[in-house]
Amino acid sequence: MFGYIRGYKPYMRVYEFEIYRSIYCGICKDMHRRFGFFTRFTLSYDAAFLALMDLSVHGRKLIEKSERCIAHPWKKTMCAGCENDLSYASDISVLLTYHKLRDDFSDKGFGKKLLSALALPFFKKPYKKACAAHCEISKKIAQAMKLQNKIEKEKTAGIDAACEPTALMMQAVFEGIGRNSRERELLRRFGYCLGRYIYVTDALDDLKDDIQQDNYNPLRIYMQQRGIGLTDKGKVPGEVKQFCDWTVNMSLGVLAESYYALGLKRFRDILDNIIYLGLKNTYSLVKEEKFNKRNKPKKGKAVI
Amino acid sequence: MTNGKDPYVVLGVQRSATEEEVKAAYKELVKKYHPDQYENNPLKDVAAEKMSEVNQAYDEIINNIRNSEASSRYSASTHFDSQQIRYLIQSGNITQADNMLSAVDPTMRDAEWYFLKGSVCYKRGWFNEAYENFSRAASINPGNAEYTAALNQLNSQRTGSMAGDPMGGAYRNKNADAMNCCCDLICLDSCCECMGGDLIPCC
Repeated sequence: MFGYIRGYKPYMRVYEFEIYRSIYCGICKDMHRRFGFFTRFTLSYDAAFLALMDLSVHGRKLIEKSERCIAHPWKKTMCAGCENDLSYASDISVLLTYHKLRDDFSDKGFGKKLLSALALPFFKKPYKKACAAHCEISKKIAQAMKLQNKIEKEKTAGIDAACEPTALMMQAVFEGIGRNSRERELLRRFGYCLGRYIYVTDALDDLKDDIQQDNYNPLRIYMQQRGIGLTDKGKVPGEVKQFCDWTVNMSLGVLAESYYALGLKRFRDILDNIIYLGLKNTYSLVKEEKFNKRNKPKKGKAVI
Repeated sequence: MTNGKDPYVVLGVQRSATEEEVKAAYKELVKKYHPDQYENNPLKDVAAEKMSEVNQAYDEIINNIRNSEASSRYSASTHFDSQQIRYLIQSGNITQADNMLSAVDPTMRDAEWYFLKGSVCYKRGWFNEAYENFSRAASINPGNAEYTAALNQLNSQRTGSMAGDPMGGAYRNKNADAMNCCCDLICLDSCCECMGGDLIPCC
């Protein structure tokens, strides 16, 4: 998915981190089992968060097993059992990746086109499988992708409008967890705000590249409107960071409201850590240009 | 009228004072001039006269405030059906409410319009636009408690407050833990004992 939803490790208890990682591990295994070898490379900790929310809302217990992992074949690690519990997260992960690839294939640069053309065949079958279980969500993701393209073509200026597609996507994904109308309503709001958070963080992360490569970015338009450019050292100016702070904070504020209203009990501490500390931490890492999407945050760079 | 005296001067309040402020000032003056305090006092007549002055001034100001409120509410409802839009927003019919608001002529948009527009944006999750609209509403009509409350809530979220945060942002502030709390209490106890008192009797 995106990679911005992570826990704040220094404040996570060791057993909490074990659970968190074992869920990640479990989804990876689940994907391998049901969708084949290749899909598991697209996994990120975002999916682990989705699985945690899913398990928590349904009050499910975790079955822990000790298994070998292909990333660390020499040692056995704790791995969450996957008796159907983690399938939601892995299905959604596949759906999002597939739609992303389709989108890349249809209108991106040559490099991305080639990559997605190579990867797409591996996702055809898994997609069909996941789509059969979550048809509505898949439709909504496709719609959001279309909206995203429209916004990029029209170079929409407002940050709210620019956030909409990602927000709607996450809204659909989290709504699917709820058991009754009240929970679904709260999770809709939760997902929407989380999507806004992800989009703004991503926009800030990509801002410098987008300016260099002349790509669409609502923050770039924000800067153009106010006639400000990057600072002399090539950094993002404070004014833009302030604007992002406000946007992210408002989204997280409302997100916290609906999260709190959900009153989840199971895995509460881990979820609290991710929501109240992790999200803000990731955002400030991005803001200080210390965040690395592909790898984990650099060692010793955790911001307190 | 109050013998030609300015009621605002009599009560000692600003012309922009709210109903609460006027009431508070009135209570203070009543305490000061109440006839019961001057039973066997040569100033009894003066106090009674003052008291009636204060009463008249109070009535006048309160009437002024209520009239202006009513007229502003009336003027708001002449441009668009505020009540119906509020109802639509509450029942979750955001699209229709937004359409009704968009239909209002841009020159006729008042504080109420910006507040409602802000509420629509908030419900949709467009918080940046909601913030702009709320602050516009609050700046046009700073006395309205509803507009201010909406703005304040978004403002506190804007500066990073999150509902139900168990850490209360405390992970940034290392002073707020249980050990420090005990330490502070013991220090406080010592200080009290220096002065001859005692905060914690057992130590």
